[in-house]
Amino acid sequence: MSMHSSRIGLVLIALIAGLGANTAFTASPSVTAVLGNSEAVVGQTVQMEIKVTGANNADLPAEISVDGLEIHETGTSRQFEMHNLTTNSSTVYIYTILPLKPGTFTIPPQMIRVGSSSLRTPALKLNVSDSPNRSTRSNQTAQPASPNQLVFAELIVPKKSAFVGEIVPAEIRLGFDPRAHPKLIDGPEVSGQGFTAQKLQQGGENLETINGRTYDLVTFKTAIAAARSGKFDLGPVKAKAQVLTPRGPGTRRSRSPFDLFNLDDPFSDPFFSDPFGQLGERREVEINSDPVAFEVKPLPPNAPASFSGAIGNFTMTTEAKPKSVLVGDPITVTSTISGRGNFDRVNAPALEDDHGWHKYPPSSKFKQDDEVGISGTKTFEMVLSPNEKKQSIPLLAFSYFDPVKERYMTLHSDPIAITVQGGAAPGPSIAAQPSSPTPATMSAVPAKPQDILYQLTERGRMQSFMPLYARPIFWTSQLIPLLILLGFAGWKMRQARIGNREARRIAALQHEAAELMRKLRRNDVSPREYYAEASRVVRVKAALARNTDPNAIDAETAADTFGLNGDSRERLKRLFEQSDELQYSGTHNGSERISPETRHDVLELLDDLRV
Amino acid sequence: MKGRRLLVGLCCPVICTFVAASSFAQTDFDKANKEYAQGHFKEAIADYGTLVRSGQWSANLFYDLGNAYFRAGDFGRAILNYERSLALERHHPEAAANLQIARDEARALEMQQSWPERYLQFASVHQYSIVAAVAFWVGAFCTVALIFARRRSARLIALSILSFSVYALAIFATYEIDHGNKGRALAIITDDNVQARLATADTANSILALPPGSEIKMLNTRGDWVYAELPNNLRGWIPAKSTGLVRLSK
Repeated sequence: MSMHSSRIGLVLIALIAGLGANTAFTASPSVTAVLGNSEAVVGQTVQMEIKVTGANNADLPAEISVDGLEIHETGTSRQFEMHNLTTNSSTVYIYTILPLKPGTFTIPPQMIRVGSSSLRTPALKLNVSDSPNRSTRSNQTAQPASPNQLVFAELIVPKKSAFVGEIVPAEIRLGFDPRAHPKLIDGPEVSGQGFTAQKLQQGGENLETINGRTYDLVTFKTAIAAARSGKFDLGPVKAKAQVLTPRGPGTRRSRSPFDLFNLDDPFSDPFFSDPFGQLGERREVEINSDPVAFEVKPLPPNAPASFSGAIGNFTMTTEAKPKSVLVGDPITVTSTISGRGNFDRVNAPALEDDHGWHKYPPSSKFKQDDEVGISGTKTFEMVLSPNEKKQSIPLLAFSYFDPVKERYMTLHSDPIAITVQGGAAPGPSIAAQPSSPTPATMSAVPAKPQDILYQLTERGRMQSFMPLYARPIFWTSQLIPLLILLGFAGWKMRQARIGNREARRIAALQHEAAELMRKLRRNDVSPREYYAEASRVVRVKAALARNTDPNAIDAETAADTFGLNGDSRERLKRLFEQSDELQYSGTHNGSERISPETRHDVLELLDDLRV
Repeated sequence: MKGRRLLVGLCCPVICTFVAASSFAQTDFDKANKEYAQGHFKEAIADYGTLVRSGQWSANLFYDLGNAYFRAGDFGRAILNYERSLALERHHPEAAANLQIARDEARALEMQQSWPERYLQFASVHQYSIVAAVAFWVGAFCTVALIFARRRSARLIALSILSFSVYALAIFATYEIDHGNKGRALAIITDDNVQARLATADTANSILALPPGSEIKMLNTRGDWVYAELPNNLRGWIPAKSTGLVRLSK
């Protein structure tokens, strides 16, 4: 028990130590900033979140001054995340923006001091329109279709039109009357054709009073991208929930004293004031929102060559490491594309001129700044290797379509100076390009530093790719040791059997000798039997000693076997003679007994017979 | 006397056929070499290809074919044939040297081997198979001797344990090498501009651009597409016509 608990203790200590170590080695502080909505109308508040990760304390401004916008810090929240025993803490600073006039506003980068270092938020753009009808939401509160509804759904899309492939954020709000003890069992999901919706992320839950009634509002966030141009309806949003409903109208009781205005509130039923007095009914209800009309415009023609379908608003930075290399050495070029848009279509920037460079396929990494992945940073790492001396990294170009400006934009990287030393890298050989188009090109190709080896004129022995164990010859050849093994086992078995037979014979003779000796010590045997059995004992003992048949033993052989001399030899011979005489002459039959002296002599002789 | 005549009568045609086939093959091989020496690489490739299709494979034949492809500028197929040469003869110095040159030219990507595969590579699958067979039979003989022995000999027990351990290790090594990244499923990208894709469609998203001569491990084939493990440890679909299996089967 104590060992068990000490083991648990050790595991806990190891876990805590690992956790501590991982917490200690969290990534360096970073900051991201994101707008809750990049489109707003005058007077409509928008939330901005600045997320500082990997730092406990950060100095942020309480107010940000932008002409036409009122920006105040309205709260903070802390988040702890644990991935594979690595903990990350982050603090989200929430600012509320109140647009005062229409226009496109840029919230400038904010310097945030974290310990001794300074971080910088990205610049954010907010488009403010003066039309209150720009948004599909008539007002900022969700509206149940009927005041008597226990549940309702609302799809909020900030834009009525978009371009094909453009990512449009959308919000789904489900309202539940808390007295109905609602339980969401299915959905919500956005139905409709011609667009793709990203996985829904639950945004939050809060209580809101609508038309004098309190609703529990659950918000889901998603992003929608149209797959084709045209006009179509988004939604309706569909969901299923279980709610507690009052009894049917047939059993209706008197109205609640709290329903003063006779609002025909189903919850005025006394059941809700005394749930134990009369049981209610759990019922599944379908929740449907109104669809939202949406217009999708096609992208304009004449897209730049480096356009890969990215739509949004992006910025690009590029850096290269190392900056001093030899010809043929790899240089890692890191391009970071940040902003807001459809990052799944953001591909690596293209090289404007890759002559004299060898390019390897890039790798990419995306870090999203919001729940649905509209804002974030995509980092591409591309390995370039110079085939000749170069002064700088080739310019990189990234094209995207800006839906606000409604035109294609191309971002270019800044020139990055590098130093390339050494001769020409091993380029394609002349032999490798037998049909080079012009002699000028031929002379431009650097000399090949190494050539392949000579041709072999001997064909060599024929071989097969089949592994040895899969060839029939391998398995056939195993028959040889198998047969030898079987022979070996058979020989061993025979040896064992022979050994057993001999052992049994020896045991039988030993048993016979012991039985006879016991009989000879008794006093009830006739002389004829006595001498016959005594001579048999001698034969058996001699046979055991010589490993032969007892019947083949005579007196001389027995004497020789036991190495008897003089008197003992004579006594043995007499014993055999007496036995034969009594056996064949017929004398000494009847009731005569052997004298004790004679018996003693015979037994003494027999006991002395040892090899 | 009659039996001997019959034996000679049966053996003679077989030996004659074998000798004739060998001399014809050598003639074709010489012809291909001559074409190569004259700079007629396409003709040399065709002649070597005839020998390959006839199943008369040798390390030198694939090496020479690899050289012809290299000279013709087809680095993917050159690398494929050097790999084939080395698959038949692990220590073929010329093939190893030219393979390195071709890889440098093509900037081909190589598969990473797992650590057991790397450490077990000091012997070939053939050698491990022989070691496994010998160890198995030694262990079997020791076991039989132990079963029938009146007294259990400690040496015999130790030898049988050692033999079966060696047998198990050799089997493991054979499996690792044969099913590893450079095993029987190893294939080479033979065409230019080959992309490994997420699905079996030319329009599917690209996972990795594979230069000619890059190594892949074929996992599955579906129609004209091959599902393969890629040098960057990802998996993707590649057009089957752009790949060549290193280890050919008759």
